[in-house]
Amino acid sequence: MKHNQNIERDRELLLGLTRNDDRALATIYTENYPSILRMVLQYNGSEDDAKDLFQEAMIILYEKAQKGEFDLYSKLKTFLYAVCRHLWLKKLQTGNWQLALPDELEEVLPAEDASTIAEHEEKDQQFRVMKKTMSTMGEPCKTILEDYYIRKLSMQDIAEKFGYTNSENAKNQKYKCLMRLKKLFFEQYKS
Amino acid sequence: MNDFTLIRDIERYLEGEMSEQERTAFEALRQSNPAVNEQVLMHQQLIQQLDQYGQRVAFQEKMDKIHASLAIDEVLPPSRTAPPAKIFTISRRLITNMAAAACIALVTSLSTIALMQNANRQKTTAQYEDVRRVLNNIQRSQNALINDINSKKKAPANPGTYGGTGFAISNNGYVVTNYHVIAGADSIYIQNTKGEAFKAASVFEDISSDLAILKITDSTFKGQPLPYTLKPQHALRGEAVFTLGYPRDEIVYGEGYISAQTGFNGDSAAYQVSIPVNPGNSGAPLMDSKGDVVGIVTGKQTTSDGIAFAVKSAHLKRLLEEMPKDKLPKKEWNHKNRLGGLTRVDQVKKLEDFVYMVKVYN
Repeated sequence: MKHNQNIERDRELLLGLTRNDDRALATIYTENYPSILRMVLQYNGSEDDAKDLFQEAMIILYEKAQKGEFDLYSKLKTFLYAVCRHLWLKKLQTGNWQLALPDELEEVLPAEDASTIAEHEEKDQQFRVMKKTMSTMGEPCKTILEDYYIRKLSMQDIAEKFGYTNSENAKNQKYKCLMRLKKLFFEQYKS
Repeated sequence: MNDFTLIRDIERYLEGEMSEQERTAFEALRQSNPAVNEQVLMHQQLIQQLDQYGQRVAFQEKMDKIHASLAIDEVLPPSRTAPPAKIFTISRRLITNMAAAACIALVTSLSTIALMQNANRQKTTAQYEDVRRVLNNIQRSQNALINDINSKKKAPANPGTYGGTGFAISNNGYVVTNYHVIAGADSIYIQNTKGEAFKAASVFEDISSDLAILKITDSTFKGQPLPYTLKPQHALRGEAVFTLGYPRDEIVYGEGYISAQTGFNGDSAAYQVSIPVNPGNSGAPLMDSKGDVVGIVTGKQTTSDGIAFAVKSAHLKRLLEEMPKDKLPKKEWNHKNRLGGLTRVDQVKKLEDFVYMVKVYN
């Protein structure tokens, strides 16, 4: 009975995460981070290692939840722990992680987890390309695109912020920026 | 068309800013010109990537904010910051005090729980009443007396201490009744409507569902093929049911309906039935309109009228399957229903030969 209630609570938190509810995110973060931190510290990792590992796991959870096809069968804690463990293993294999994986964590992971991670890696790759492309974009393009696509400002607001006479002009600027971004992004992405 | 106007058109097309006319024209262009179509698809991919990038950056920012507000010291293992020895001694004393307090709290809460449970049990028993009959003060019917004298059966003259109802579940002398009817019995007798009594012994008891299986040990007993079956499916709410039992020395018919799919206190192995039930009805069969057994009457709620409970036939069937095979071969209780098309009067006439009064001496 108690176990079911926990799952119900976790499901609600997950729904909150899908709706971009900050409180749900904060709850999940504060409740689960300490155990990951403890695990990493226990094996002589640093706080930064723990933060990276945990935030990556959170991003996986977030992206899965956003897609709307994620049904929670175990507790969130279990899921996050398993994903962290798997990420650790991956980092170890690629060699950009100094920390050895403790023996008891080195069990065979369920296939479902493995596909989750593989999917995430592809997205991660796309994310890095986009990040790099955005950083090479000059001003005002970078800010306009960020304002529109990240901060979700309206074109009207952006026009006022940048001193365009009307939103049509701002839009024209945005089209130019997109053109540049498109060119740079696909150059990077295909290489 | 240069790159700029193309990208503007794609953007306006995807953002839904085009008029109906422009839209049709653009879709036609898309179809006729594969290069344009490819640009649209690439643009869609780009926007999607940009959107995901945006979401992730925003998410990362939020997480960093939460992370910054976390009090990391609190979650660090205690070994990292070794506490001074002085605090240790104080906390040691504190632990002793706390242990004493915890002990007291434990004793208090345990005794409270015990008290509460006791009170609860008393309340529960007050609400639930087994409907076996205490026979000490009830005169036996003349009918039975005459029968006794005439047939010189071996049934004791004593009317017994307790009574209930039972019914045949096989043609070779197996009878089911309630466990509470025969609990603590020295000897058990089964009496049919004709007043003939046979000695029986309990062969299987299930206290949790309050069922007992009796076997008639008298050699004079002759079984007949059963006209009914044990219904394996659950009866539905509102289904009409009837019962035959012995609240007195005469067999009594009663009818009602299934009111709920669970029994007393939510017991899922039982039904709540709205049917007249009196002491002596315990162990009586509950039949549906076809004459199949859907349950076994066990008790009623004393706090309100018209609420009786019956163990589901499916549960009885499960019990029978669990019974050791040598005691009761499986095929013995698989019968065909032969009461289907009959009127209720004819059904009852046939059924009453298989419903017995259970008398218990102790």
